[in-house]
Amino acid sequence: MPSRPAPAATTPPASPSDPLPASLVVSGLRKSFAGHPAVDSVDMTIAPGEIHALLGENGSGKSTFIKILSGYHRPDAGQATVAGRPLRFGSVDASYQLGCRFVHQDLGLVDACSVVDNLSLSAGYPLAFGTIRGGEARRIAQESLRRVGVDVDVRRRAAELSPALRTGVAVARALRRDVSARAHLLVLDEPTATLPHDQVDQLLEIVRQVAALGVGVLYVSHRLAEVRRLADTVTVLRDGRRVAQRRMADLSHGELVDLLTDGHAVAAARPRHAEPGKVLLSARHVRSGHLRDLSFQVRSGEVLGIAGLSGSGREMALASLFGAVMRDAGLVRVDDTDLAPGRPDRAIAAGLAYLPPDRKTHGGIMTLSAAHNIALTDLRPFWKRLRLRRRPEIAETHRWFSALAIRPARATTARLETFSGGNQQKILFAKWLRRRPRVLLLDEPTQGVDIAAKADLHEQIRRAAAEGGAVVVSSADLEELGAVSSRVLVIRDGHIVAELGHDEATVPTMLRHSLGGESGRT
Amino acid sequence: MRRSVSINLGLDRFSGLYLWAVFVIVFGVWTPDLFLTMSTVHSIASAQAITGMLGIAVLIPLACGTYDLSIGATVNISAVLAGSLQTGQHLGLWPAILVALVSAVLIGIANGFFVVVLGINSFIATLGMATVVGAFQAIATGNTQPNPPTGRTWNNLAQYSIGGFQVVVLFLLAIVLLAWWALDHTPAGRYLYAIGGNREAARLAGVHVDRWTWLSLVASSTICGIAGVLYSSLNGPSLTFGAALLLPAFAAAFLGSTQLTPGRFNVWGTVIAVFVLATGVQGLQFVTGVQWLSDMFNGVALLTAVGFAVWRQKTSKARLDRTPAPARDDSGPAPADIDAPPDAPVALSG
Repeated sequence: MPSRPAPAATTPPASPSDPLPASLVVSGLRKSFAGHPAVDSVDMTIAPGEIHALLGENGSGKSTFIKILSGYHRPDAGQATVAGRPLRFGSVDASYQLGCRFVHQDLGLVDACSVVDNLSLSAGYPLAFGTIRGGEARRIAQESLRRVGVDVDVRRRAAELSPALRTGVAVARALRRDVSARAHLLVLDEPTATLPHDQVDQLLEIVRQVAALGVGVLYVSHRLAEVRRLADTVTVLRDGRRVAQRRMADLSHGELVDLLTDGHAVAAARPRHAEPGKVLLSARHVRSGHLRDLSFQVRSGEVLGIAGLSGSGREMALASLFGAVMRDAGLVRVDDTDLAPGRPDRAIAAGLAYLPPDRKTHGGIMTLSAAHNIALTDLRPFWKRLRLRRRPEIAETHRWFSALAIRPARATTARLETFSGGNQQKILFAKWLRRRPRVLLLDEPTQGVDIAAKADLHEQIRRAAAEGGAVVVSSADLEELGAVSSRVLVIRDGHIVAELGHDEATVPTMLRHSLGGESGRT
Repeated sequence: MRRSVSINLGLDRFSGLYLWAVFVIVFGVWTPDLFLTMSTVHSIASAQAITGMLGIAVLIPLACGTYDLSIGATVNISAVLAGSLQTGQHLGLWPAILVALVSAVLIGIANGFFVVVLGINSFIATLGMATVVGAFQAIATGNTQPNPPTGRTWNNLAQYSIGGFQVVVLFLLAIVLLAWWALDHTPAGRYLYAIGGNREAARLAGVHVDRWTWLSLVASSTICGIAGVLYSSLNGPSLTFGAALLLPAFAAAFLGSTQLTPGRFNVWGTVIAVFVLATGVQGLQFVTGVQWLSDMFNGVALLTAVGFAVWRQKTSKARLDRTPAPARDDSGPAPADIDAPPDAPVALSG
């Protein structure tokens, strides 16, 4: 960082003497969903060349804020200007024309294409008589990569590049020269979440290079250590409100953590959990992808929470236990049965049930009816005299619909895709609960689910444990973990770094362990 | 709202039956002495019996999202073997049929191996298999059409007349009933449709995705084997008829998926599609007498029906998107759409 001259204005608002208008000025931005404020009166100023970090835990309003800037959401109130010109909300095109550029965690590169093709697909190829001028296209690509400090052979395929370089290509593509619309603001949404640690520095260097071009950078990340090294200023959001906009140099790591976590009420009215019984599921040294070593036991009657930021390896935990993805090493045992890796059918037979995080691609079969989705896990009760009997199947579906308050209540034969997210999730719960599993593995069980359905699902989780099963919940929603878990494991960098009991598992504590405690990682 | 839904319901789900009625009325009025006769009914029924069987054969793998493009070659080699083994190799009637059927089953097993074990895209694997089978057929026959067997039992196999209908129509009926039972009333059918709907979700629900995909390909080629033997008994062991039946079979399965339970490949829809098309073609041929009609008619009907269903799907999706929590009550009709199998040719690069 010292190599780069301090930007002209790091203390908002930009001083009047500054010849350049601020890259981004946002004032009084507000957006509610169903009466629930997601972004509440947020102000922000980013000077040209400034790297501005946006921090906040899940659900604090970061992504809503970004989606307003990108023209995806239309805010209820507030203004924004980009390089001095007012931003017309609700139009992706208007946001682009003013100079806002976005690089999302999913970079959107075409892996099978070369770097030069990736850059040219959106910017257009230089042509001569309708034919691509290959040399010129490569030269232009090379030049736009060099601007952001990336040096690669542009003829290589995107898939062959390291993750950091791929991000660099995505950044170069976002900032490509466009005569009609100069880039003024680059928004990076969790660019390092899936990046190996040794490549983070390379990416940070690219971000500094971008800022040196005079572009304002809004940098969204969970990783405090890198944010502290990179950013000039920081905005912290909590429950949609800005709780601080400060110069990074003025903050210690501890103060930053306090800003992020303070003011959280510990989830009220947490239930008492029955005394845990015998061990139902044990994992020993399970390794899969980012997950380096996972060992734990769950007992009958327990709800075990698993916390961890994205990229910590938590995402792989339940999928690798169940066999949805292959595990590289380790033992998984249910009751007295050792589970073969990558065999969901055997896991189910042994008494496991697994709710995947993405109900559209992995959880449910959208084109089949709710009844058929629910019945799929066990068709034996309906198979009588060489036919699947429809009546008992519909009757059982109706029982689940009323037990879980699934709406619309009579739509048992409607396709799964016609239900709302919360009701889809309840239907997928029913599909597993009817098997009376010994261990229920729930990955992001309430993602994209409304508040009422969430409460219902939490009730089901507690009930499953109370009836003698074991439940493991992996979630990015720390309040959820606090609300349902009798015990919480925190995963960081692929390892379990903390085990918190029922009373310790508060949102600030879990977040502190996820982030790396008071001392940070640097 | 409710009213418009029920009107659409009729047009969507039973459009084939309406069209059928229109054909019968129009051609019945136009050429009553030719069209409105039992012999027309009998001839359409037996002429389409083999197409109908092949429609069912492609339908079963399609239900689980897998293409079987080898059906044309399989039905052809089965027909040729059943005929030439009797006339050329002087094998008995039943041994010849047995060899033909076993060959067909083996083709299905090989298809399954390439698709499931090696993981080759089913479109490519079965296309390659079709070509290889075609080469085997050339080796076995030396590209000269075998003489048709002449035994009475052999001819009666498909041509025996029951109430005016050739017995091949009953074979079709048996296969249709069996497929309908298997797909709509057994766990096997549930698993196949689940795999076709979302392969990964089915796997995570404990369905043996590989096993069922494999079995669907074997079922498909077995039906082709039976159809081949019957074709040979009906028309003689032609060397080239199989390829010409490939497209009509797929057309019937896709057209059928716009009928009765729209958006789902289904047995009765496929049967309806086969016979509606055949009725239309037959009637037009009586009226005009030109030869290219059948191709033109089948192609146009396929594009129109599937295009209409896709358009309906888009509009109903748009309607779903506008209403955040769609309140469809009880067993309302599912939107008319086409489930493109996951490994449709557009996804070949993946």
